[in-house]
Amino acid sequence: VQPMRRVAVAAAAAIAAVVLFLLLRPSSDGGEAAPSSTAPTSSSSATATATATTTATTATTATPRKRPRSATVRITIRDGRVLGGIKHPRVQKGELVTLVIRADVSDEVHLHGYDVSRAVTPGHVVRVAFHATVAGRFEIELEERGLEIAELEVER
Amino acid sequence: MRRTLALAFAGAFVLPGTASAHGIGGVKDLPVPLWLFSYGGALVLVLSFAALGALWKEPRLETPARGRPLPAALQYVLLSRPLRIVIGLLSVLLFVAVIAAALVGERSTATNIAPTFIWVIFWLGLVPIVVVFGNVWRALSPWAAVADAVEWTFGRGRVSYRRIEYRAQWGRWPAAALLFLFMALELVYDEPADPLTLAVAIAAYSLITWYGMMFFGRETWLRNGDPFAVYFEFLSRLSIFAVDEHGDRRQIVVRRPLSGLAARDATPGTVALVAVMLGSVSFDGLSRTRFWVDLRYEAIVASIDYGNLLAMLLNLGALGMTVAAVAGAYRLAVGAAARVARSGEALAGVFVWSLIPIALAYAVAHYFSLFVLQSQYAIPLASDPLGRGWDLFGSADHRVNLAPLSPNTIWYVQVGALVIGHVIGLVVAHDRALVYFRSARTALRTQYALLALMVLYTIGGMWLLSQG
Repeated sequence: VQPMRRVAVAAAAAIAAVVLFLLLRPSSDGGEAAPSSTAPTSSSSATATATATTTATTATTATPRKRPRSATVRITIRDGRVLGGIKHPRVQKGELVTLVIRADVSDEVHLHGYDVSRAVTPGHVVRVAFHATVAGRFEIELEERGLEIAELEVER
Repeated sequence: MRRTLALAFAGAFVLPGTASAHGIGGVKDLPVPLWLFSYGGALVLVLSFAALGALWKEPRLETPARGRPLPAALQYVLLSRPLRIVIGLLSVLLFVAVIAAALVGERSTATNIAPTFIWVIFWLGLVPIVVVFGNVWRALSPWAAVADAVEWTFGRGRVSYRRIEYRAQWGRWPAAALLFLFMALELVYDEPADPLTLAVAIAAYSLITWYGMMFFGRETWLRNGDPFAVYFEFLSRLSIFAVDEHGDRRQIVVRRPLSGLAARDATPGTVALVAVMLGSVSFDGLSRTRFWVDLRYEAIVASIDYGNLLAMLLNLGALGMTVAAVAGAYRLAVGAAARVARSGEALAGVFVWSLIPIALAYAVAHYFSLFVLQSQYAIPLASDPLGRGWDLFGSADHRVNLAPLSPNTIWYVQVGALVIGHVIGLVVAHDRALVYFRSARTALRTQYALLALMVLYTIGGMWLLSQG
């Protein structure tokens, strides 16, 4: 009998915990509440930087309902580093995405996943346009240098 | 509210074309917020634990019988010599083909079959096969087949005699160290899918394996030193099929589910090897977090000449620390159990197999979507393995489905794998405790620390997956 009681107590405690969490969960963006205390790098700041780095022709993340048709991602490489640090642009699936890359080195820019490669040379602006048909996170890499310059996230 | 979250493929290595489509895009419209999954998972563990305490009072997994033998005719075929020779030949042929592709094929991960074959078909694809059908790697390994052929040619004992006595205290440490190196090749080195790199790695591994078998004896090396043989043997403990060796008689038996994990094994290096299994997958997840991606970027741009080296050192350090953390957490939990039970003995070997279901769960959660996507590339690559424009089987133009699974499907499989894996881990640990401590009360009390460990692993695992 005693162990059964123990089970009951444990179950009651667990259910109480869940109910409490549901009640106490801080307003709408509750997702951030518990786990993010251990996750300083996660999404609250992520959204901000992503919006800033995506110089979208029409604001990409601000109006998700309107489904903008195109987005532009500008990346400038100077002295072997990405201006403003590694980019984390976000676009919507189905958009026509244009990468505008300006580099002061000769290398090859490779968008993984979509598997698009373009040579870059100093003094030239390279434009790579593609339809973001597959959702996911994709590396954009300076191939020879082995340097990841951006992580493109295509949202569903 | 509609917070999106990128789920990682968490395959840090860069495979063909799409290969590095790490991410799966945003998971949306989940019925409950993501954080609730963590608490839900933890809750399932706690409830399972309570139920185990109440209902599972006698050891049930350890069986004196070795399982029911398969029908004699089937056994005869499966264990027959001709079949062994045919499989050995095929596997050696495949081995030579892959090495040849790695050496002379086009040096590109997209058009050379070697990277996809090694990292996807062999390393990931064998896992479910071994878990379902038992340790088939013993029959499939081309290295063992070559050793058999050499032994047959020169006579048994002429080649494979034990020149060096294998010391008991070495245990499985060689396998653990070699598996760590293999994981470092995948997760630390910056060109793991480069065909030539893989050719060098295969050559090094082959030398180690054949010399190992020669110096210490075939069986000794395969059981303790060969990372893949030991890795697949560990995972095959989950299978209901096993080979039962009784002196000279070998037979295939069907055993009770999980009974392969109901054993004590205090062989040195066992915990280390399991920690490498768990820790490497965890690090793979960790390395996909924004934090780590940015850190690696900073390391690379710090110096033109040494940036990549610095990034690799960072990776190596973090991989080592993750593995050490997994081992340390397990040792702590087991130490706490020993204190509760006032057991002077080390209990690490008593509970170590309860980590195997978790290792499998981690592997499934992190790699199954990568496998579903990447294994498709094997179809066109099989027809044109060297990237020369061949079409051997008429499948060179096969188009792969770039989005075979929806992000939500992937998330549910990941959560399901993590929770089920940990519950099974609890069951196994609980059963071991009952065997070892006899008093059900003491047994249960020793398990609190392990429960805490499993809850930690579950929540940590989900957090890592949700970060990618």
